[in-house]
Amino acid sequence: MSRLSRPAALTLSTAASLALLAAGCSGDGGSSGLPADQESSSFSAEGDGVRLGILGQCEGPFGGFHEDVVAGTTLAFARYAGASPNSSTSALEGFSDAEVAGTPIELVGIGCGDDTADRILQEVRRLVEQQGANVIIGPLSGDEGIAVAEYAKGKPDLTVFAGISGSQEQTLQVQAPNYFRFYGDGAIWNAGLGDLLYREKGWRKVAVIADDYSFGHTSAAGFVADFCGVGGEVTHRVFPPLGTTDYSSYIAQLPDPDEVDGYFWAVGGTGTQAALEAFVNAKGDLTGDRHAGNFFFNPDLAQALGTDIAGAHIGGFATLPGDIQTPEIKEYLAAADETWETIPGSLSGNEPAPPSTSAAFGFFYGYYSAGVALVEGLKAVDGDISDPKAFQSAVAGLTLDLPHGDISLDENRSGIVDVGLSRLAVNDSDEVVQESVAIVPGVDQTFGGTFSPDTPSPGRDFPKCEKRDLPWEGKAIPVVDGVPQR
Amino acid sequence: MTARDLLTRSNLLGAALVVVLLVLPSLATAYFVNFVMTQTFILGLAAATIVFLAKYGGMISLAQFLLFGVAGFMFGNAAQETGARGLNLGWHPWAAVVFALAVTTAAAFVLGALASRSTGLYFLMLTMVYAVIGYYVFAQIVEISGPGGLTSIQRPDLLGPPVRLYYAGLGLSVLAYVGFRAVGRTAFGLALQGVRDDPVRMASLGFNVPLHRALAFTLAGFAAGAGGLLNVWWNGQIDPASIAIGPTLILLIIAVIGGISSFEGAWLGAFVYVLIFTYLRDLPLIDRVGITEARFNTVIGVIVLVIMMLSPEGLTGIARRLRRRLRPPARTGPAPSTGPPLPVRTTEKELGVTRR
Repeated sequence: MSRLSRPAALTLSTAASLALLAAGCSGDGGSSGLPADQESSSFSAEGDGVRLGILGQCEGPFGGFHEDVVAGTTLAFARYAGASPNSSTSALEGFSDAEVAGTPIELVGIGCGDDTADRILQEVRRLVEQQGANVIIGPLSGDEGIAVAEYAKGKPDLTVFAGISGSQEQTLQVQAPNYFRFYGDGAIWNAGLGDLLYREKGWRKVAVIADDYSFGHTSAAGFVADFCGVGGEVTHRVFPPLGTTDYSSYIAQLPDPDEVDGYFWAVGGTGTQAALEAFVNAKGDLTGDRHAGNFFFNPDLAQALGTDIAGAHIGGFATLPGDIQTPEIKEYLAAADETWETIPGSLSGNEPAPPSTSAAFGFFYGYYSAGVALVEGLKAVDGDISDPKAFQSAVAGLTLDLPHGDISLDENRSGIVDVGLSRLAVNDSDEVVQESVAIVPGVDQTFGGTFSPDTPSPGRDFPKCEKRDLPWEGKAIPVVDGVPQR
Repeated sequence: MTARDLLTRSNLLGAALVVVLLVLPSLATAYFVNFVMTQTFILGLAAATIVFLAKYGGMISLAQFLLFGVAGFMFGNAAQETGARGLNLGWHPWAAVVFALAVTTAAAFVLGALASRSTGLYFLMLTMVYAVIGYYVFAQIVEISGPGGLTSIQRPDLLGPPVRLYYAGLGLSVLAYVGFRAVGRTAFGLALQGVRDDPVRMASLGFNVPLHRALAFTLAGFAAGAGGLLNVWWNGQIDPASIAIGPTLILLIIAVIGGISSFEGAWLGAFVYVLIFTYLRDLPLIDRVGITEARFNTVIGVIVLVIMMLSPEGLTGIARRLRRRLRPPARTGPAPSTGPPLPVRTTEKELGVTRR
């Protein structure tokens, strides 16, 4: 009968392969005999240099930006650490010869997220615990940032430079001492937009529609705090899940155009266009000046929606709007073009294109800023990272001189930044382009006390719509023809 | 059953495997133990509940990952003291464990009772509906799920060091493996298999068919809940996307890779899945043939397809067949000299395949 011949071979082979694997793994990387009980992997055993892991997204709504973000970090090392990319047509091949103050920077791996916190945790654990990374650059998206910041909290010897993840909570609430963000958050990027629409466009009542996840919530929170702060009223808040394709039922929850003065959209990725198309189908013609959005509003929307989208106002991003061209920005874009022949970035539909196409957008730039922060941090400690605490406190005190403006950190290690507001306009050749309107200087993530570690995280009904004083009210610097009138 | 009956080759090998796993933390790297193997145990435990329902009850459930998540969410809500997310009830961690398992088991009983009159494809569809509804319940009722998930979930102090979580996973897995197989030999388990094979006849014999199915679903839910607790301790966070339809299907895929009719297969499938996820991209030159980490789902899909074509019973089925081919079939010897023969036929009917 079967009991004597139960899966003996199977069990035996499983045991054997397990033992083999165990043996194989223990011999790997010179860490044999490492007790599994240890909380954090011992970084110093891996050598004195920087062992860098980059967290990107190769799947999910932002999967198209995988090249862009890795290229961003690589460009920083190419400009300031003597690195040369291993391929002239792709950043994913890695780079070599990066060195700052005698300390080499070695790329140990590129993590592949899919916009979920679970996946990015697995990726960061793989990079840190398996590949021995002691510095992480990334992640890309809102929920991922919170998860990675929480992870960093339990690994004090690890240093994380956030990539372009824009949720507020990762710095303001989590407060990991080794997690640094050299750019703004979703709320910061909409600072001053409500003020501008209230004063200059006479908007009084607005309906808000935003992605139902931490970045959408943060982005909407910034607009609500700002617009309500100056006296406006938010009548509706609608939150479709991220990745929705048919927005009609969410559009139906929005008021009709005669009930409000305008709509604020924080619907990102592939959803921006789909949501606006659903709006046109349900509510009639699109008049751009009745709409405002976060940075996901871009001139490409005109391809499907026509030039009627012109007039819409847009919040800022890590980069200033494209029509502002300072010498520093030009130099930065030229450096990108010198580093590679082409990069198949997201803005060119992942087809080969001049690298400056990717470099001009915030995803690339956020990772670039993180790379520059790592270089400057290493310089500040003379390349000696044997004491992670000293390295981290040096990083916390940095002020980076970046192409789109200087960035320093607040006490929660989140960037204090200038926000460039813009609108879509039609140029002489009948194309929709982005035109800067104003720069709001020195915005930090607290919004003058509206947000603090003790307040709830931005959510579907936080912050409340109420009048409040905002530090930048009336301080916006107007921009005329791409030139800030400082 | 006497002690001598227990001294079979498979039991000895199983015990040897457990011994190897017990000493593994001093042989392998921390990452292999705390990441690869711990995750294997967690996913294997959850997949074993699918196997249990399929093997003994003929029910293929897609709701196991939901119950896995319910336990995680309930623990997070009950145990967290402060923070911007969840209910922050601040209970003692072990009280939270009891609460989480109680809620999960109750939910499993209710869902199992509702589904107890459906079988086959309809049961699969119904449990998929549960999974989808469950996802939206947690996505929409943000008071219990965040908003955007519960983070910074701490495990009880007893399980503080990661290696203890590994041992907890190992212990629970062994318990589930032995327990599920033992259940199959109890009166309840035998009746359940009867229900699987011929519900009409069992009903006419006086068995309460829906109750048996509901109770089996409840037991599976309890075990999935235990796996969910391990998962939330291991991962430190849970959000609605953790229990969306994608991960739900992955659990079914794990069960299929291993073999949906064998308990060993659940852990074997989980092990293969985690190994591929973790190490495939490290193989030399693998990216030259276009298999980068972004193609991971494609690779898993191809593997599942190949396994389905070669062996509907998964990897354990392949192993079984190889063994049969390597060793000529021995004639069945005389009945064991000690103890009366069990009055049970061992013909098993699983997923339309009859195996002796």
